[in-house]
Amino acid sequence: MRQKTYLDEINTNMYDIKNKDNYEYKAKKGLNKEIIEEISRQKNEVQWMREFRLKALDMYNKLDLPTWGPSLEELDMNEIATYVKPKGNMSNSWEDVPEDIKNTFDALGIPEAEKRSLAGVGAQYDSEVVYHSMKEDLIKQGVIYTDMETALRDYEDIVKEHFMKCVPISDHKFVALHGAVWSGGSFVYVPKGVDVKIPLQSYFRLNSPESGQFEHTLIIVDEGARLHFIEGCSAPKYNKINLHAGCVELFVKKNAYLRYSTIENWSKNMLNLNTKKAIVEENGQIDWVTGSFGSKISMLYPMSILNGKGAKTEFTGISFAGKGQNLDTGFKVVHNAPNTSSVVNSKSISKNGGIATYRSLVRIMPKAKNSKCSVSCESLMLDSYSKSDTIPFNDIRTEEVEFSHEAKIGKISDKTIFYLMSRGLSEEEAKSMIVRGFAYPISKELPVEYAVEMNNLINLELEGSIG
Amino acid sequence: MSIIKLNEIPLRTSRNFNINNIKLENIEIPSKIEKFNNFKIINNNTNVKINEIKKDINIKYGVGDILINQIKDNSNINIEIDIEGKNKETIILEFELDDNNRNLVDNINIIAKENSVSNVIIKYVSKDNKFYHNGICNVTAQKSSKISITILNLINDLSDNFYTISNIINDEASVNYKIVDFGGKNSISNYYSNISENAVNNIDTIYLGDKEKIIDINYIAELYGKFSKINMNVEGALNDYAKKNFKGTIDFKRGCSKAVGSENEYCILLSDNVRAKSLPMLLCGEEDVEGEHSAAAGKVDAKQLFYIMSRGFSYNEALKLIIRARFNKVIKKLDEDLKNIIIEEIDRRLK
Repeated sequence: MRQKTYLDEINTNMYDIKNKDNYEYKAKKGLNKEIIEEISRQKNEVQWMREFRLKALDMYNKLDLPTWGPSLEELDMNEIATYVKPKGNMSNSWEDVPEDIKNTFDALGIPEAEKRSLAGVGAQYDSEVVYHSMKEDLIKQGVIYTDMETALRDYEDIVKEHFMKCVPISDHKFVALHGAVWSGGSFVYVPKGVDVKIPLQSYFRLNSPESGQFEHTLIIVDEGARLHFIEGCSAPKYNKINLHAGCVELFVKKNAYLRYSTIENWSKNMLNLNTKKAIVEENGQIDWVTGSFGSKISMLYPMSILNGKGAKTEFTGISFAGKGQNLDTGFKVVHNAPNTSSVVNSKSISKNGGIATYRSLVRIMPKAKNSKCSVSCESLMLDSYSKSDTIPFNDIRTEEVEFSHEAKIGKISDKTIFYLMSRGLSEEEAKSMIVRGFAYPISKELPVEYAVEMNNLINLELEGSIG
Repeated sequence: MSIIKLNEIPLRTSRNFNINNIKLENIEIPSKIEKFNNFKIINNNTNVKINEIKKDINIKYGVGDILINQIKDNSNINIEIDIEGKNKETIILEFELDDNNRNLVDNINIIAKENSVSNVIIKYVSKDNKFYHNGICNVTAQKSSKISITILNLINDLSDNFYTISNIINDEASVNYKIVDFGGKNSISNYYSNISENAVNNIDTIYLGDKEKIIDINYIAELYGKFSKINMNVEGALNDYAKKNFKGTIDFKRGCSKAVGSENEYCILLSDNVRAKSLPMLLCGEEDVEGEHSAAAGKVDAKQLFYIMSRGFSYNEALKLIIRARFNKVIKKLDEDLKNIIIEEIDRRLK
């Protein structure tokens, strides 16, 4: 009988760097009006935002926890500090970032990536952005890339017009929570016709134990403009639960294009309850590329609302659920205008008792005549201790559509392993190659540096789990 | 206004999708169930015993407690079919709702004994008036038995139809269903199979929705045995303001290595006012299986229509031909009389 070898815990080295919990201010654990008001005071916010936070808190208290998906029993908001302000102020020079924080981002390779392949970088540590910078030529073209707090001060009208309009606080309980305690995140505005040829990247790092990160990302790509935005996130592992409930709002105007790539590698004590949504106008396009590797529990379903004629979206995602992980991920799309199209390509891998669930929504509204939607999802299980579920919901409300959904589930084919072994590979090498091949449609969509990072993550996750 | 929730799916998803169950308004569930006389049983097999006795109901799912309890407490038809040996003649059960038999609450138990072979047709029809049907077909297929069951729902579009099918399919048994779900103002059906080692379960369903009909189909197959197999094929057409929910779940339980499961749903949309929802779920707790599902929806292929019309057919005739062709997988296996009834029904409904 074939034996499998298992490692209890994989050392993800660079992601596990723990700094001392140094902070300038840390909110009391829990959630109430006083804490919200104190966060707002710490940030010296405008009145309407303070009122908005309190309204969101009311909504949070009214809404129930989801009755579906992974159990969130472990989450006790009374044990979570929702705001942790790190020492130091935001800077546009790495030299001015406190030493321990800078060392963390150095180890994660952010400054190096900035030099080699990025047009701008934002780095958030706990609840505040500590570094933000962008290439001079983009500033001259009118591109704005800054942290949300600065945007709220300097571009208040734009923020007020768009903030939580794409993702209203009534969407679900954790969006309401986000509205109440949000902090940090990135604001991007790309003016009409500007093509940002090199990606911008924001990296979110949560260091403080028993805390939450609630960054808000707001991106507006104006008519005919183009942007590739990359989001990375990680945290060291602690014994108690951390919470991530970020919110991403994307506005893709007429004829604009936005690619939003995420490599998520939260620590395995993290509950990742993030919300991402894009509104796409006429002939605009949003492409999502997502790799979900970390977290204890993820509930993450990026959503495209195709509001303009001819709007398009593509979703390419992979999730990798290992020991102790329950990754409930997927995609939602609403076709709300004629001639819109969507293509979904999702893959998941589960091993060592991990649970990977693909959950989705495709809704084609009556006015979305001549729309097309094609969904494909594949799941690979590497052992029988794991679980892999596919739960796609499709809601078609007009006759003039072409809609198709297909899914496959299964294990690595013995015939393929045999073929590769007959070419001289060991069984482990053959399986590893098959898994990388399985993930290739996703990794090829990423810039090469991130594809390498994703392949490294896959190798780390696979180590010892197959054989 | 009273609302009842029926047909819960085995694993809930977002409440906002409105697919976890079906909510029906103002459904009249009769409290008094009179005797039902208008039925006939045709059985020319000496190895098949049919008795009118009431059996306990012990099922895992079903359309909903309120309706299952009604059958437990108040069924007016109780039939047990005991099948042994190899039977060439089809067993036919036919029920017709009419003004003297307005409510049918039937409890049918079929036991296919070891190595038996049989073919059963259960047909529900009605006269034109508002009637009520709530039934259960409970099947136990013992080791190495083979049974084919055809269920025809052809009751009128004023009446409500609720139907539960529950199967225990033991080792090496084979259970094949052909289901024609054409009838009812609201047609709510629940199907469950528990499938053991080397057992096979095939389901071919066709549905047709028009006017303001609501169709809610909830099929659940749990594969427990090694080399077990399930195939679900559901084809349908929706016209006018019809609404359809197809919820199909294939659940590979740990230990069902080498099991194979497939579910496919195709819905032809014939009007801009229809609503087609589908939730084809694959749940997998075993590595060494093959599972796949597909769902598709769209209007009739323009090229096919053009081709047939270029041969002299009208648009409506061409449309009917295409729909009949899609339904042919189920229709072709019926005997001539039933086939004609189904074809006439398609023609009548697609006028």
